[in-house]
Amino acid sequence: MDTRFVTMLRPFLKYAGANEITLDSSLRDLGLDSMQAVELLFAIEDTYQVSLPDELLTDTTFATAGNLWAAIESSGVGAEAGAKLC
Amino acid sequence: MTAISDPSPAVTDFRRALVDALDTVGDATGRELWCALGRGGVLAAHTAGEDPRADRLRALLTELDARYPLGVVLSVCVQVATALPILLHGPASEHVAGVGAAALRGEAMLALAATDSAASGSDLMDLGTTAVLGEDTVVLDGGKRWITNAGTADHLLVLARHRPQRHFTSFLWVLVPADAPGLTVEPADGSMFAGSGVGHLSFDAVTLGRDHLVGAPGRGLATFSRHIATERLAGGLWAGAMCRRVLTDTRRALADKPLHGATAWDNDAVRQRFARCLVESRRIDALCADVCGGSGGLVDSMVLKASVADSLDRVLGECVQLIGADAFGAGGVARLRAEAAMFGVAGGATGAMLAGVADHADDLLGGPR
Ligand SMILES: Cc1cc2nc3c(=O)[nH]c(=O)nc-3n(C[C@H](O)[C@H](O)[C@H](O)COP(=O)(O)OP(=O)(O)OC[C@H]3O[C@@H](n4cnc5c(N)ncnc54)[C@H](O)[C@@H]3O)c2cc1C
Repeated sequence: MDTRFVTMLRPFLKYAGANEITLDSSLRDLGLDSMQAVELLFAIEDTYQVSLPDELLTDTTFATAGNLWAAIESSGVGAEAGAKLC
Repeated sequence: MTAISDPSPAVTDFRRALVDALDTVGDATGRELWCALGRGGVLAAHTAGEDPRADRLRALLTELDARYPLGVVLSVCVQVATALPILLHGPASEHVAGVGAAALRGEAMLALAATDSAASGSDLMDLGTTAVLGEDTVVLDGGKRWITNAGTADHLLVLARHRPQRHFTSFLWVLVPADAPGLTVEPADGSMFAGSGVGHLSFDAVTLGRDHLVGAPGRGLATFSRHIATERLAGGLWAGAMCRRVLTDTRRALADKPLHGATAWDNDAVRQRFARCLVESRRIDALCADVCGGSGGLVDSMVLKASVADSLDRVLGECVQLIGADAFGAGGVARLRAEAAMFGVAGGATGAMLAGVADHADDLLGGPR
């Protein structure tokens, strides 16, 4: 995951505090509700100038930080987007 | 969303076209009005550019509020603020694009059907209307209730679920022609909202081509959220116009009403109650300006929605009391107040708005933006 992604994600996760966000972090457990998930989608698409493909618009994509990052990467955002964290 | 500002030449032109269009119809049904707005280029001018500008929306709703009953204004408002933006958002099939163009010309009326027969309107995630996607088809089953223009629209934008998961990616929009086999429409009972065409829909294996999908499957709720802030702003701008109109009439009535050898307007207690209404009215205007100037985010729009409903009810309720028995006459403010209670229900009930506001308490307490 790139640093920009983690920085963008953190405000949506009200229970994350200062804890590390890993690939396995459950977004729902960390406080992502349905309304915020919609706003997160907008934030991702605005930040990375991508449109998540239809087949990746699923609950599984939004289940963990890793799944979401993988979806962003598969939309054409490469590692050059920022420094890799994990 | 751009800020409300002094009328620019474009807004002045828009208002002129609007007044000309409305003068051609006078008293009108929702359909005649929609036709006139389309024919006069008002709908196209309103939606021109990226985002319908707040000052055009305000001009439109102020003029409509001055001329038409609440139900007729509602019929136009739902189409301009929500249905049209969703229909015109993003890539579209030839069919959808054709309906969008016809709507802009005033030749096709739209309804937007989100509130579901199987769920609370505040919990769209639970809605029960299903859309089964085949290779070339989409099949709808279920029902919708309290839909403006249900009985008058030519095309109904229907929010349905294509997956069972309780997740925002489980929904899509389908554009259903009013004459589709399997669709039945029942008018809402009661005598309120004349001219709104409000009613209930049921879908029994309504089968359409996939070119009737509006936007991609999975984006239904996200697209709705993109536009809900505009709908709530429209509600605020309309409520602000309504307050100014009713307060102007009430001020006049108080000045004409004899009271203790003078007029009601000369009475300090009456003036103070009226002043309280002016404060509430300005609160609506200020929050609209705040939403226009801000990011247009969902939380701000929920604050606006909840506040507008409260302020409007307070203003209209006080005007009923200030006017007295005459408020209950034909066209009186008592009737308007009863109908305007919908501002606390339609498009988001106040309780649901407050629940969302509470969820974002920390953001809202985070200081000025
Ligand atoms: C005149 C009119 C026109 C309409 N037009 C349309 C239209 O064109 N398209 C459309 O899709 N719908 C339309 N609606 C429906 C409207 O959007 C719904 O009525 C609205 O969303 C509320 O849903 P509900 O009526 O099921 O009430 P509910 O949402 O079930 O609310 C019932 C009560 O519960 C409270 N409540 C709800 N959630 C919470 C919560 N989380 N916390 C605390 N309290 C809560 C509410 O404040 C309310 O007091 C229209 C309604 C009216 C009256």
